[in-house]
Amino acid sequence: MNTFLAALSSGTSRGAIFALVALGLVIVWRGAGIVNFAQMGQAMFSTYIASTLITNGNSYWIAFFVALISGAVLGALLDILVMRPLSNKKQSELLSSESMRAAVPVIASLGILGVLQALAGIIWAAEERGFPAPAKQEGFTVAGNVLPFTSFDLFVVSIVTVTLIITTLFFTKTGIGLAMRATALNQEVAKLSGIRTNRTRTISWAISGAASSLAGLLITPTSNLSPNSLDLVLIVGFTAAVVGGLDSPAGAVLGGFILGMVISFVTFYSTPEDVFLAILAVLLIVLIIRPRGILGSKDARRV
Amino acid sequence: MRAVSNHNKKSIARTSLIRTLLFVAAILLVGAQFDAYNQGQLAVVLILFIGVLSVTLLTGISGQLSLGQGALMAVGGYSTALLMINYKLSLWVAVPLSVISSAIAGLLLGIAAARLRGPYLAGTTLVIALAIPTIANRFMSVFKGDEGLPVDVGYPPQWFSNLFGEPGYEQWQLYVALPFAAIALFFASNILKSRTGRMWRSIRDNETATSLSGVNFSRQKIYVFVISSSFAGLSGALYGLRGLVGPSVYPVSLSLLLLTAAVLGGIRSITGAFIGTVIVVFLPDWIDLVLVNFELSEQVSNYLPALISSLLLILTVVINPAGVAGTRLHKHK
Repeated sequence: MNTFLAALSSGTSRGAIFALVALGLVIVWRGAGIVNFAQMGQAMFSTYIASTLITNGNSYWIAFFVALISGAVLGALLDILVMRPLSNKKQSELLSSESMRAAVPVIASLGILGVLQALAGIIWAAEERGFPAPAKQEGFTVAGNVLPFTSFDLFVVSIVTVTLIITTLFFTKTGIGLAMRATALNQEVAKLSGIRTNRTRTISWAISGAASSLAGLLITPTSNLSPNSLDLVLIVGFTAAVVGGLDSPAGAVLGGFILGMVISFVTFYSTPEDVFLAILAVLLIVLIIRPRGILGSKDARRV
Repeated sequence: MRAVSNHNKKSIARTSLIRTLLFVAAILLVGAQFDAYNQGQLAVVLILFIGVLSVTLLTGISGQLSLGQGALMAVGGYSTALLMINYKLSLWVAVPLSVISSAIAGLLLGIAAARLRGPYLAGTTLVIALAIPTIANRFMSVFKGDEGLPVDVGYPPQWFSNLFGEPGYEQWQLYVALPFAAIALFFASNILKSRTGRMWRSIRDNETATSLSGVNFSRQKIYVFVISSSFAGLSGALYGLRGLVGPSVYPVSLSLLLLTAAVLGGIRSITGAFIGTVIVVFLPDWIDLVLVNFELSEQVSNYLPALISSLLLILTVVINPAGVAGTRLHKHK
């Protein structure tokens, strides 16, 4: 029973973080038609910035907000410097086929990931470092029993919930959010109705950058920080996004929690080595039974 | 009609054969000039060239992006190591057998992947690339976990030494890799020019038109995976014969290295695959050559090759997507 509760609580807090990662992927996919494999590289980079600020004596919260902002700026920069020139090149022979139009941005994002990891290695050395949590990582005590749910877990779950509410409001209630949804639905029509699609694309990259930086800040206290330390989080986030539906923000959240639970229960009831095989199994099952994901729309881009 | 196509087949095979023989001669000539270290590096070039060809066929020719080639290399590597250690087979038997086992792995992967496209395929193969090496730790008794299985190319047979003199260890690695690379080159250049190659290109360029022309494209896609996996498995088998087969030998970054090489050189051309492989293998040495004059910390020089090759990858994709060999490609179409 205790193992079950521990798995459940760890699954909830990890699931919240994976939901953020998946949400970041979904936002860029909807806004730009690209799966951004560099996303957790960006998050790693801004978490290093936060870590450096804290080491230099700044408070956690200053570092926290600087990291979010630098995540957003980095995301926007990558779109302007790499992805926008790339999408303007669609006339070139190599990009003339549909399959290559899908493949080439993925290759570019892998290049970005490589650059960010190498830069982080050069600037901040390769050795792992820890990253502080803003709340205690010991379980709550109720009537003398230590629960497996820590105040840091509570912090993670509540901050992710707030973020999800803000994102939903942004997409449904604001003009920019509406413009972004229109661009996601049909770029040509959006352009013709006067939406500056280049700008909405860049905003998608910025929001996604901030969301994944938040995920980076929340996950590093329980792991360690090194140039490659967030690679696995990206894999899980990608699987979560596919499970939920790559074009559905609500699906991303659902997928994140499903993956959090699967990973947590496999870790607690089997060995950590089985985690990857479990992720692979979940991914394959979803792709075979329901390739568009649980909440993905039917006419979404073909799988 | 039949006569024409037979004639064509012959002339295609002849061109590929001449190309391959020139390649072998050039490698032998260059290899003889090199010192032991560079002979070893050249052997790595030949080995990875086979793996890069697997990316060229899969991504460049048929338009399917896989990030899991490293996992298929691991299949080839482990098959060879297990056959050589448990059944005491010679590498000349074990390596071809492991090509078959990686072809089977490619068949399974192809059946799963034929329905996936673009980023879905890339992501799924990336998960596979991460999941497969963990099997080595799951079944410790067979695969020996992180420790891995030690295998190497051994020593040349007596008749070889009598004929050509005693080769150095690195030189022997080169001579072992060369025939396999030559066979791979011959096959790849044959496939590219044949009907099959045209069919794969048409799958890449327009699926609807291809299937309307009577091509069963899901079967062809699976077929591409089988062929490409055989190349990757061969490359992985030889890669492991450098000394060890283990999870650390086939990391995810190996898949990315193959992709980088293929893109840098020119993802649609065999010449490009070779140029790209030479670039990624020798880049760290070239950087060292330039950096001797500068006082740089170890930290910087460790990450510099990765930084430069990733920058080159981005620049290639954005500025010159056809790669180094691209200019030739435009003429051929």
